[in-house]
Amino acid sequence: MCYFEGQGYYSTEQSLRLRRLSSRVPNQNAAPHFDWGSSPEGGKDDGEEEPRNLRELAMPLYMKKKVWQVQQMRIPVASGRVRRSRALRLFYAEARNALAMVTLWRRAIHKIGGHFGGGVQSYFVFLRFLVVLNFLSFLLIAGFVLIPSIVFHSLPFNTSISHMPNTTNITGLEQCMVYDPNPGALTVFYIYFLDLLSGTGFMEYSYMFYGYYNNTMVVVDESFSYNIPLAYLLTVSFYFLFCLFCIIVRMGGVARVAVATGGGAAGGYSMMVFTGWDYGLQGGCATRLKQNNIRYQLQVDLEEERLKLKARSLTLLQTVGLYTLRGFLNLIVIALILGAFTAIAAATTFSQKNQRDGIVGLLLEYLPSIVITVSNFVVPFLCDLIAQLENHNPSTTIILALLRAVFLRLVSLAVLLYTLWSNITCENGMDTGCEPCSYNYQQYQCWETRIGQEMYKLTLFDFLTTIAVLILLEFPRRMVVDNCSNKLIQWVGRQEFLVPPNVLGLVYAQTVVWTGALFCPLLPLVNTIKFVIIFYCKKITLFHNCRPAVKVFRSTSSNIVFFLVLLFGWILASTVLIYSMAEIHPSYGCGPFRFSSSMWSTIPESFQNLPHTAQDFLTYIGSQAFSIPLFIFSCVLLCYVAALASVYGKSVALLKAQLKLEGRDKQFLVKQIEELQKKLKPKQDPMGPMALSHDHVQATCDPQDSYSSSPPLHSYALD
Amino acid sequence: MGATASQLPKDLLSEYQELTFLTKQEILLAHKRFTELVTREGRTSAVTRVPMEKILTLPELKSNPFRKRICHVFSTSELKDGSLTFEDFLDLLSAFSDSATLEIKSHYAFRIFDFDDDGTLDQGDLEKLVNCLTGDTEDTRLTTEEMRQLISNILEESDIDKDGTVNLSEFQHVISRSPDFVSSFKIVL
Repeated sequence: MCYFEGQGYYSTEQSLRLRRLSSRVPNQNAAPHFDWGSSPEGGKDDGEEEPRNLRELAMPLYMKKKVWQVQQMRIPVASGRVRRSRALRLFYAEARNALAMVTLWRRAIHKIGGHFGGGVQSYFVFLRFLVVLNFLSFLLIAGFVLIPSIVFHSLPFNTSISHMPNTTNITGLEQCMVYDPNPGALTVFYIYFLDLLSGTGFMEYSYMFYGYYNNTMVVVDESFSYNIPLAYLLTVSFYFLFCLFCIIVRMGGVARVAVATGGGAAGGYSMMVFTGWDYGLQGGCATRLKQNNIRYQLQVDLEEERLKLKARSLTLLQTVGLYTLRGFLNLIVIALILGAFTAIAAATTFSQKNQRDGIVGLLLEYLPSIVITVSNFVVPFLCDLIAQLENHNPSTTIILALLRAVFLRLVSLAVLLYTLWSNITCENGMDTGCEPCSYNYQQYQCWETRIGQEMYKLTLFDFLTTIAVLILLEFPRRMVVDNCSNKLIQWVGRQEFLVPPNVLGLVYAQTVVWTGALFCPLLPLVNTIKFVIIFYCKKITLFHNCRPAVKVFRSTSSNIVFFLVLLFGWILASTVLIYSMAEIHPSYGCGPFRFSSSMWSTIPESFQNLPHTAQDFLTYIGSQAFSIPLFIFSCVLLCYVAALASVYGKSVALLKAQLKLEGRDKQFLVKQIEELQKKLKPKQDPMGPMALSHDHVQATCDPQDSYSSSPPLHSYALD
Repeated sequence: MGATASQLPKDLLSEYQELTFLTKQEILLAHKRFTELVTREGRTSAVTRVPMEKILTLPELKSNPFRKRICHVFSTSELKDGSLTFEDFLDLLSAFSDSATLEIKSHYAFRIFDFDDDGTLDQGDLEKLVNCLTGDTEDTRLTTEEMRQLISNILEESDIDKDGTVNLSEFQHVISRSPDFVSSFKIVL
């Protein structure tokens, strides 16, 4: 049913008419696109949709107002349904409004987007996502592990607190159970500070770390009991799944958009020109910068195209030379990265072997963190220098640099963990201390807490470097650049806010937190606080110390990369989680799993305590009788979705072909009309032939075009 | 000036809410900002026109390279001088608001880019558009050769029916594949 002519899109005939109108009517905006003569039934049919439709019409408000008034007259008494739907809509609007009010940092992010554009904004949106994720994770852990533990600690001991049954025979393992985290009674004040930084001393035996949690099961009465080890394990597992779910949901949204755009590669120039401008920008400086950005990008892309043409014309010898050079440079890069890994492994082993007190001890404690941070500063810098020799085109260079940095960051964390692991399980062959306890009990009385401390230190050190870079590097640089007119310094200029390395820093910090979450349950809280502070620091440094980057990072394609990297970090962390849950023997001296053979064994044990029906049900879910049909069903679903996708692709191709055909029809008709004109009207009016011929073209074209679009063309009478 | 003109009748307000994508607060804010632009003696009514020069003093529009086109597109003035009434102003904000649909946004974007108002984007329109994007001074413009290459590339990509111009449906085809457009085609007071 066509109620308005021109809903949403102008179809071809409308755009043609617009062209004609503009030559006659002084003001094309006033051109009425509304069909007043439609039947009243039509109005009633569309009655509930009307206000929404009106809103979506591209016509001036005063026209819409008149239409609305007519509609109101046609439906004199709004029926209950209409009124209800209107009330509902108003309610939704209010709810959306309220939601927008409580959204974290809405104004701040809006302002950042206004001054620095979408790319930088996407960094802050990503940061906000991580803050919310960490805070929710903290609530989860607090609700199921922390608060029950605190309550049970302070509980009067008349409720029955049963220690978990010992499943392993612990005779002969007494030496493994030594764990004395609080040796000193009185400490100097600055020791507190050192402890706070390294997570030792008063920090070590607290709710912060794994070792403090009990292996108790609290039975209040018959109906309620709470098993802390089980809760601990399930909460952490659920925390991982929850994070995965959040990432997938966010990534799904971003990926859907990116897939719909066909990867964004095709149509790059039109996209950049038609949608490149950011209308939210305010202030002359931001506008000029955006203009510079767009010009730079256009020039780079055009240049790239020319380079590609040139590359195609290279001789065989030159091509071989180029690839040899690239291969050689890649070898250097790999050597650099491997060197960094070796340094990290050596530093970790060294700092684990040498434990001392005081400042030197603190430095030793932080040695792995320092080495990781330094190598993450130095190696990408060298890689960038090398990349200049490689002669890739600019976009490949950016992606390559990002990939190398990601690889370095996350794998250096993996190396650190691997080194710790092989020290704990005595796989490096130097220690023989693992015999009775199946882990290195002399060095690690409570190895879980030690890993937790390590992750805590990494988190803290990362935070401290961010702050230090802000105060010691970025701020002085701005001061020098602003107050010194030296040409060289002016050429260096203020620093740019580069999105990829900053995002990479966030992903790294988040990966550390995931890795440590099992061993340091409060790490998500620490990370929430850290990210909130980092948000404000980055905002300050952005507005005071930075100029926007010359190179634009396209926010959509980059968003996907951010989430992919985050997913990679998650996979790394969950590998660590699964390994430590299933493979390594938990410490005897501390923690909720102190008498289990592995952390995972808590699950089968509590499985035995479930009622029979639940046991049967779970066994059924785990059996082949369930999993094979599930597998087949998901295969069918996948086939269906794939078929649907290919059908959509075909229909897109069909529509494109149709559009092309219509264009050809139009050109054909234009030719015919020109011929007719030559025959019929040898004399022309002084305005020039084109204006008139256009008018004729419209007149003939319109019926031609109309077969493709359903609306009957009511409003021609108005023209 | 606020005492005389800052009040918007309630029924009008709800009507505006029905007909635009703006929320109540946004309409009230728009009204406040608009009345600030009106000269002291003029009362704001549906017919008060604010000349384009005044509209362009708004910081949200001041530095936008398309500011004049925006005013022209949304103006309902007979004189085509780009002057706006309050309702035109609401139209503008509605099209640039967060919740406006892609169709509305792309429609108005097309009208803004159509510098000669002939209903299609031809070479001249594209050239002016690119100049707006890169800054329209001698040293910020692209070279003639670059411009030629760029325009032929654009037409190559988006002119599906190969008639030498980009029409609205072709334009919307390009826009529909650009996810950033809805978030960048946005002016919030």
